[in-house]
Amino acid sequence: MTAERSGMDRVNHLTVELSLADVRDLLDADVIWCPDPTIRIAGIVAADLMSDVLVDSRPGALLLTGLSTVQAVRTAAIADLAGVVFVRGKRPPDDAVAVAREEHVPVFVTSQSLFAAAGTLYAARSAPHPATGVPAHG
Amino acid sequence: MAEAEVVRTYEVQAGDFSNAGRASTSIKDTLKDLGLAAPLVRRVAIAAYEAEMNIVMYAQRGTMRLSVTPTAIVLNVRDEGPGIPDITLAMQEGYSTATPQMREMGFGAGMGLPNIKRNSDELTVTSEVGRGTHLSVRVNVS
Repeated sequence: MTAERSGMDRVNHLTVELSLADVRDLLDADVIWCPDPTIRIAGIVAADLMSDVLVDSRPGALLLTGLSTVQAVRTAAIADLAGVVFVRGKRPPDDAVAVAREEHVPVFVTSQSLFAAAGTLYAARSAPHPATGVPAHG
Repeated sequence: MAEAEVVRTYEVQAGDFSNAGRASTSIKDTLKDLGLAAPLVRRVAIAAYEAEMNIVMYAQRGTMRLSVTPTAIVLNVRDEGPGIPDITLAMQEGYSTATPQMREMGFGAGMGLPNIKRNSDELTVTSEVGRGTHLSVRVNVS
Protein backbone atom coordinates (compact mmCIF):
# COMPACT_ATOMS: atom_id res chain seq x y z
CA MET A 1 0.00 0.00 0.00
CA THR A 2 1.25 3.46 -0.80
CA ALA A 3 1.67 6.31 1.66
CA GLU A 4 -1.54 7.10 3.52
CA ARG A 5 -3.26 10.38 4.02
CA SER A 6 -4.15 11.12 7.60
CA GLY A 7 -7.47 9.58 8.60
CA MET A 8 -7.87 7.69 5.40
CA ASP A 9 -6.97 4.28 4.06
CA ARG A 10 -6.56 4.09 0.35
CA VAL A 11 -6.02 1.06 -1.81
CA ASN A 12 -5.34 1.88 -5.40
CA HIS A 13 -3.91 0.24 -8.50
CA LEU A 14 -5.76 -3.04 -8.16
CA THR A 15 -3.76 -5.89 -9.56
CA VAL A 16 -6.73 -8.27 -9.79
CA GLU A 17 -9.77 -6.65 -11.34
CA LEU A 18 -12.83 -6.93 -9.12
CA SER A 19 -16.39 -6.51 -10.29
CA LEU A 20 -19.24 -5.19 -8.17
CA ALA A 21 -20.50 -8.81 -8.01
CA ASP A 22 -17.10 -9.85 -6.58
CA VAL A 23 -17.35 -7.07 -4.01
CA ARG A 24 -20.88 -8.12 -3.08
CA ASP A 25 -19.79 -11.74 -2.59
CA LEU A 26 -16.52 -10.99 -0.79
CA LEU A 27 -18.20 -8.68 1.70
CA ASP A 28 -21.40 -10.77 1.93
CA ALA A 29 -23.13 -7.48 1.21
CA ASP A 30 -26.81 -6.72 0.79
CA VAL A 31 -27.58 -5.10 -2.53
CA ILE A 32 -29.58 -1.92 -2.04
CA TRP A 33 -29.40 -0.93 -5.69
CA CYS A 34 -27.14 -2.30 -8.40
CA PRO A 35 -28.47 -2.65 -11.95
CA ASP A 36 -25.17 -3.93 -13.39
CA PRO A 37 -23.01 -6.10 -11.11
CA THR A 38 -20.53 -6.80 -13.93
CA ILE A 39 -19.05 -3.29 -13.68
CA ARG A 40 -15.33 -3.42 -12.82
CA ILE A 41 -13.96 -1.17 -10.11
CA ALA A 42 -10.84 0.89 -10.79
CA GLY A 43 -9.67 1.21 -7.19
CA ILE A 44 -10.93 1.48 -3.64
CA VAL A 45 -11.23 4.46 -1.36
CA ALA A 46 -12.12 3.91 2.30
CA ALA A 47 -13.05 7.07 4.19
CA ASP A 48 -15.68 8.78 6.31
CA LEU A 49 -14.57 12.25 5.29
CA MET A 50 -16.14 13.12 1.96
CA SER A 51 -13.68 16.01 1.73
CA ASP A 52 -10.89 13.44 1.47
CA VAL A 53 -12.79 11.39 -1.10
CA LEU A 54 -13.21 14.48 -3.28
CA VAL A 55 -9.49 15.17 -3.06
CA ASP A 56 -8.06 11.70 -3.44
CA SER A 57 -10.37 9.31 -5.24
CA ARG A 58 -10.09 8.51 -8.88
CA PRO A 59 -12.90 7.81 -11.36
CA GLY A 60 -14.28 4.30 -11.16
CA ALA A 61 -13.11 3.69 -7.60
CA LEU A 62 -15.40 2.03 -5.06
CA LEU A 63 -16.18 3.99 -1.89
CA LEU A 64 -16.24 2.15 1.45
CA THR A 65 -17.66 4.35 4.18
CA GLY A 66 -19.33 4.46 7.55
CA LEU A 67 -20.99 7.75 6.65
CA SER A 68 -24.53 6.58 5.99
CA THR A 69 -25.96 9.78 4.55
CA VAL A 70 -27.09 11.17 1.23
CA GLN A 71 -23.77 13.07 1.03
CA ALA A 72 -21.84 9.82 0.55
CA VAL A 73 -23.97 8.96 -2.49
CA ARG A 74 -23.79 12.53 -3.83
CA THR A 75 -20.02 12.47 -3.45
CA ALA A 76 -19.82 9.19 -5.37
CA ALA A 77 -21.97 10.62 -8.16
CA ILE A 78 -19.99 13.85 -8.41
CA ALA A 79 -16.62 12.05 -8.40
CA ASP A 80 -17.64 9.37 -10.95
CA LEU A 81 -17.17 6.53 -8.44
CA ALA A 82 -18.25 2.97 -9.24
CA GLY A 83 -20.45 2.60 -6.17
CA VAL A 84 -20.76 2.88 -2.40
CA VAL A 85 -20.49 0.19 0.28
CA PHE A 86 -21.86 1.23 3.65
CA VAL A 87 -20.06 -0.65 6.45
CA ARG A 88 -21.12 -1.89 9.91
CA GLY A 89 -24.58 -2.70 8.60
CA LYS A 90 -25.52 0.97 8.35
CA ARG A 91 -28.42 1.08 5.96
CA PRO A 92 -28.67 4.29 3.94
CA PRO A 93 -31.65 6.58 4.56
CA ASP A 94 -34.43 6.80 1.97
CA ASP A 95 -33.13 10.07 0.50
CA ALA A 96 -29.73 8.46 -0.12
CA VAL A 97 -31.33 5.51 -1.91
CA ALA A 98 -33.42 7.88 -4.01
CA VAL A 99 -30.31 9.80 -5.09
CA ALA A 100 -28.51 6.52 -5.82
CA ARG A 101 -31.27 5.56 -8.25
CA GLU A 102 -31.44 9.01 -9.80
CA GLU A 103 -27.69 9.22 -10.30
CA HIS A 104 -27.07 5.54 -11.08
CA VAL A 105 -24.78 4.90 -8.12
CA PRO A 106 -24.75 1.23 -7.03
CA VAL A 107 -25.17 0.88 -3.25
CA PHE A 108 -24.39 -2.04 -0.92
CA VAL A 109 -24.43 -2.66 2.83
CA THR A 110 -22.02 -4.99 4.62
CA SER A 111 -21.92 -5.91 8.29
CA GLN A 112 -18.11 -5.76 8.20
CA SER A 113 -16.19 -2.84 9.71
CA LEU A 114 -14.43 -0.31 7.48
CA PHE A 115 -11.08 -1.90 8.38
CA ALA A 116 -12.26 -5.46 7.73
CA ALA A 117 -14.01 -4.61 4.47
CA ALA A 118 -10.97 -2.74 3.16
CA GLY A 119 -8.73 -5.61 4.25
CA THR A 120 -10.93 -8.21 2.59
CA LEU A 121 -10.88 -6.37 -0.72
CA TYR A 122 -7.16 -5.66 -0.44
CA ALA A 123 -6.47 -9.37 0.06
CA ALA A 124 -8.76 -10.33 -2.82
CA ARG A 125 -7.02 -7.93 -5.13
CA SER A 126 -3.72 -9.61 -4.23
CA ALA A 127 -5.04 -13.16 -4.63
CA PRO A 128 -2.77 -15.71 -6.30
CA HIS A 129 -3.34 -16.18 -9.96
CA PRO A 130 -5.40 -19.39 -10.37
CA ALA A 131 -3.01 -20.82 -12.95
CA THR A 132 0.37 -19.92 -11.47
CA GLY A 133 -0.30 -19.60 -7.74
CA VAL A 134 1.84 -16.47 -7.77
CA PRO A 135 0.34 -13.50 -5.92
CA ALA A 136 -0.79 -10.95 -8.44
CA HIS A 137 1.14 -8.14 -6.80
CA GLY A 138 4.19 -10.41 -6.82
CA MET B 1 -17.32 35.70 -34.48
CA ALA B 2 -19.34 35.70 -31.29
CA GLU B 3 -18.82 32.66 -29.11
CA ALA B 4 -21.79 30.52 -28.24
CA GLU B 5 -22.48 30.64 -24.53
CA VAL B 6 -24.57 28.42 -22.32
CA VAL B 7 -25.68 29.92 -19.04
CA ARG B 8 -27.48 28.25 -16.15
CA THR B 9 -28.23 29.69 -12.72
CA TYR B 10 -29.03 27.66 -9.60
CA GLU B 11 -30.37 28.74 -6.23
CA VAL B 12 -28.88 27.05 -3.16
CA GLN B 13 -30.52 27.07 0.28
CA ALA B 14 -28.47 26.94 3.45
CA GLY B 15 -28.94 24.06 5.87
CA ASP B 16 -30.72 21.90 3.31
CA PHE B 17 -28.42 18.89 3.56
CA SER B 18 -30.88 16.54 1.87
CA ASN B 19 -30.73 18.56 -1.35
CA ALA B 20 -27.12 19.64 -1.01
CA GLY B 21 -25.35 18.71 -4.22
CA ARG B 22 -28.40 18.90 -6.45
CA ALA B 23 -27.18 22.06 -8.20
CA SER B 24 -23.73 20.56 -8.76
CA THR B 25 -25.29 17.42 -10.17
CA SER B 26 -27.30 19.55 -12.62
CA ILE B 27 -24.14 21.42 -13.56
CA LYS B 28 -22.39 18.12 -14.18
CA ASP B 29 -25.28 16.84 -16.31
CA THR B 30 -25.29 20.08 -18.35
CA LEU B 31 -21.57 19.77 -19.08
CA LYS B 32 -21.94 16.11 -20.02
CA ASP B 33 -24.83 16.97 -22.34
CA LEU B 34 -22.59 19.55 -24.02
CA GLY B 35 -20.18 16.74 -24.84
CA LEU B 36 -17.27 18.00 -22.74
CA ALA B 37 -14.57 15.48 -21.79
CA ALA B 38 -15.20 13.41 -18.66
CA PRO B 39 -12.04 14.52 -16.75
CA LEU B 40 -12.96 18.17 -17.37
CA VAL B 41 -16.55 17.60 -16.28
CA ARG B 42 -15.34 15.86 -13.12
CA ARG B 43 -13.06 18.79 -12.18
CA VAL B 44 -15.88 21.32 -12.53
CA ALA B 45 -18.35 19.04 -10.73
CA ILE B 46 -16.02 18.61 -7.75
CA ALA B 47 -15.31 22.36 -7.55
CA ALA B 48 -19.04 23.09 -7.79
CA TYR B 49 -19.92 20.54 -5.11
CA GLU B 50 -17.35 21.90 -2.67
CA ALA B 51 -18.67 25.42 -3.28
CA GLU B 52 -22.29 24.29 -2.92
CA MET B 53 -21.52 22.53 0.37
CA ASN B 54 -19.89 25.71 1.64
CA ILE B 55 -23.12 27.62 0.96
CA VAL B 56 -25.23 24.92 2.62
CA MET B 57 -22.97 24.79 5.66
CA TYR B 58 -22.02 28.42 6.21
CA ALA B 59 -24.26 30.88 4.38
CA GLN B 60 -27.94 31.85 4.44
CA ARG B 61 -28.43 31.39 0.71
CA GLY B 62 -26.53 31.56 -2.51
CA THR B 63 -26.52 31.29 -6.26
CA MET B 64 -24.33 29.37 -8.64
CA ARG B 65 -24.06 30.66 -12.20
CA LEU B 66 -22.56 28.40 -14.81
CA SER B 67 -21.27 29.86 -18.05
CA VAL B 68 -19.82 27.70 -20.80
CA THR B 69 -18.06 28.95 -23.92
CA PRO B 70 -15.92 26.99 -26.38
CA THR B 71 -12.81 28.04 -24.45
CA ALA B 72 -13.79 28.00 -20.78
CA ILE B 73 -16.23 26.92 -18.11
CA VAL B 74 -16.81 29.66 -15.55
CA LEU B 75 -18.66 29.16 -12.31
CA ASN B 76 -19.64 32.20 -10.28
CA VAL B 77 -20.76 31.36 -6.75
CA ARG B 78 -22.21 34.14 -4.62
CA ASP B 79 -23.59 33.75 -1.13
CA GLU B 80 -25.16 35.87 1.53
CA GLY B 81 -23.42 34.84 4.69
CA PRO B 82 -20.81 35.58 7.31
CA GLY B 83 -18.00 36.11 4.80
CA ILE B 84 -14.39 35.03 5.23
CA PRO B 85 -12.28 37.29 7.49
CA ASP B 86 -8.92 35.90 6.32
CA ILE B 87 -8.99 34.41 2.82
CA THR B 88 -5.30 33.42 2.90
CA LEU B 89 -5.95 31.37 6.03
CA ALA B 90 -9.10 29.84 4.54
CA MET B 91 -7.11 28.70 1.51
CA GLN B 92 -4.80 26.62 3.69
CA GLU B 93 -5.49 22.89 3.73
CA GLY B 94 -6.86 21.80 7.09
CA TYR B 95 -8.01 25.24 8.25
CA SER B 96 -11.69 25.05 9.10
CA THR B 97 -14.35 26.78 11.16
CA ALA B 98 -16.79 23.89 10.75
CA THR B 99 -19.09 22.82 13.55
CA PRO B 100 -19.26 19.20 14.79
CA GLN B 101 -22.57 18.84 12.92
CA MET B 102 -20.88 19.76 9.64
CA ARG B 103 -18.12 17.24 10.29
CA GLU B 104 -20.71 14.54 10.98
CA MET B 105 -21.91 15.13 7.42
CA GLY B 106 -18.43 14.27 6.15
CA PHE B 107 -17.38 17.84 5.42
CA GLY B 108 -15.65 20.70 7.18
CA ALA B 109 -12.17 19.20 7.08
CA GLY B 110 -10.67 22.41 5.75
CA MET B 111 -10.29 21.04 2.23
CA GLY B 112 -13.09 22.89 0.44
CA LEU B 113 -11.43 26.03 -0.91
CA PRO B 114 -8.05 24.32 -1.49
CA ASN B 115 -9.82 21.58 -3.46
CA ILE B 116 -11.74 24.14 -5.53
CA LYS B 117 -8.41 25.77 -6.36
CA ARG B 118 -6.87 22.39 -7.21
CA ASN B 119 -9.64 21.68 -9.72
CA SER B 120 -9.64 25.09 -11.36
CA ASP B 121 -7.29 26.92 -13.69
CA GLU B 122 -8.14 30.25 -12.07
CA LEU B 123 -9.86 30.94 -8.78
CA THR B 124 -10.76 34.35 -7.44
CA VAL B 125 -12.19 34.72 -3.94
CA THR B 126 -13.59 37.98 -2.65
CA SER B 127 -15.44 38.33 0.60
CA GLU B 128 -16.97 40.91 2.87
CA VAL B 129 -17.40 39.99 6.51
CA GLY B 130 -21.07 40.06 7.46
CA ARG B 131 -22.21 40.24 3.84
CA GLY B 132 -21.01 37.24 1.90
CA THR B 133 -18.51 35.63 -0.42
CA HIS B 134 -17.99 35.48 -4.17
CA LEU B 135 -16.01 32.73 -5.88
CA SER B 136 -15.12 32.85 -9.55
CA VAL B 137 -13.89 29.50 -10.80
CA ARG B 138 -12.51 29.15 -14.30
CA VAL B 139 -11.63 25.88 -15.99
CA ASN B 140 -10.13 26.10 -19.45
CA VAL B 141 -11.68 23.89 -22.10
CA SER B 142 -8.73 23.89 -24.45
